Amino acid sequence: MTATETETKDALGERIAGIAEEAGAQRVACAWYDYETRRDWNLCGNEWFHAASTIKVPILLGVFGSAHRGHLVLDSRVNVRNRFYSAADGKPFRVESGRDANSEVHRALGRTMKVNELAYHMIVTSSNLATNLLVDLVGIDQIRATVRELGVTGVDLRRGVEDERAWEKGLNNRVTAKGLISVLQLIEEGRAFPSDDREKALLSVELSARMLEILHDQEFRSGIPAGVPDSARVANKTGEISTVAHDTAIVYLPERKPYCITVLTQWEPGASGRSDTIARVSRAVYEHLTAGGGG
Amino acid sequence: MADGKLEVVDGLKLDDELRKILRPGELMRDRDGRLRRLPRFFYRVPDWETALESPLSPHFETWEFLNVDVRETERLRHEWPRYLPCAVQLLASFLELLRREVDTYVHIAANGGYRSPSHRLSTHASTHCWGTAANLYRVGDDWLDDEKTIAKYARVARKLMPGVYVRPYGHGVAEADDHLHLDLGWTIVVPHNVPGERARREDPVDEARAEGSGMETGTGTGTAGAGD
Repeated sequence: MTATETETKDALGERIAGIAEEAGAQRVACAWYDYETRRDWNLCGNEWFHAASTIKVPILLGVFGSAHRGHLVLDSRVNVRNRFYSAADGKPFRVESGRDANSEVHRALGRTMKVNELAYHMIVTSSNLATNLLVDLVGIDQIRATVRELGVTGVDLRRGVEDERAWEKGLNNRVTAKGLISVLQLIEEGRAFPSDDREKALLSVELSARMLEILHDQEFRSGIPAGVPDSARVANKTGEISTVAHDTAIVYLPERKPYCITVLTQWEPGASGRSDTIARVSRAVYEHLTAGGGG
Repeated sequence: MADGKLEVVDGLKLDDELRKILRPGELMRDRDGRLRRLPRFFYRVPDWETALESPLSPHFETWEFLNVDVRETERLRHEWPRYLPCAVQLLASFLELLRREVDTYVHIAANGGYRSPSHRLSTHASTHCWGTAANLYRVGDDWLDDEKTIAKYARVARKLMPGVYVRPYGHGVAEADDHLHLDLGWTIVVPHNVPGERARREDPVDEARAEGSGMETGTGTGTAGAGD
């Protein structure tokens, strides 16, 4: 790394810190990996945050990993039932339909949906019901094993979502900015499930492509996508609860290789301007990577 | 009706894989450790079209009792024919009574009709493995996901058939809080014109009636009680 590059990167760190301070964020972390220059960078990239819905990307990886192992088929049907067991005390709980952004999965209660459809709703509309159904089907331990086997650190899956009793006991899913970048890289590079077997390797590419397609259909676009030009295609997943707002994405720009970026932010409950802050950080990274700073 | 369209088969004559899945005539422990004998005779459902078009009662089609998810064994999800214990006919008749009483649609949940003993939810001898249990998640516009609504339809069911088993409302084991579980117990239906039982050494057989009547006796390897 040259002195100029270091200065540029430090300038980026300062700019992001300035954006965070101006917005009143308690904490901000950012990490990126640029395929154009094969460089990476992070600001507080190893700091843990409550994952909120960004945990759904590692869960997606775990579900598709199960398909790669042959434990399930993406076309298999799953009973849509709103009854889950808390990681805190094993007692049942439900996902509140009013709090779930997706109503389509709730409308299927009592009937079945395909694994593939649930995965789609889990990411695209951030359906909590779909997420818990998939976690219940594949199992926390299995998903954790997949993430671990892929060498991903910085992702700590401990439960499904909307598990209030677990939350009260501080039993939460956590991520780091660098952890989510490593998950996105596996998906983007089509090497989510490496294998020496040729057929299995091809299946890995196919499954990675499907995960990417799902991420591309994301409906929540006010974070990272809002900070890049309209000509960019962005595959992303947001995550929000009262105290955090995140986004993790792969940004595809014309005539340039893509870059992966994660922005994690922590706030006082009720703070405003959270998505806008993520968009401004996204803009700063975009300008940094395309203005000749290049990483 | 099923008797008119669906062929009855002897589970003991099915192929090895299906016998391993359906376990016809085998014993299975219930939640309390008591042994229950699984059904031996099944309706054979040749294909999806037949499942859609073969009512087991005027308002309940065969498919509603076969609607399972990824937790059912692969053979019973991806291949036809599929099989339903003959007692499902009694269940369908009871649900028809219920439907007439409430005068609206009665919806059976996925995994809430017949489940084979190999289904991942069949951790014990659930009456679902006998085809005599139904989990109802919706009646008309009412979703059965709270105590009041579940109790409302449980009362109707008990009024129609006092002996019906209704799983109590609750969040624990053997309780239900998001559906109404109704069942007719570990009931087995043996249709007419099917092979008789093979007598086991410990079974008392009414030999006096058999002698001189032309009936087979219960001794040896023959079958007993093959006639009406």
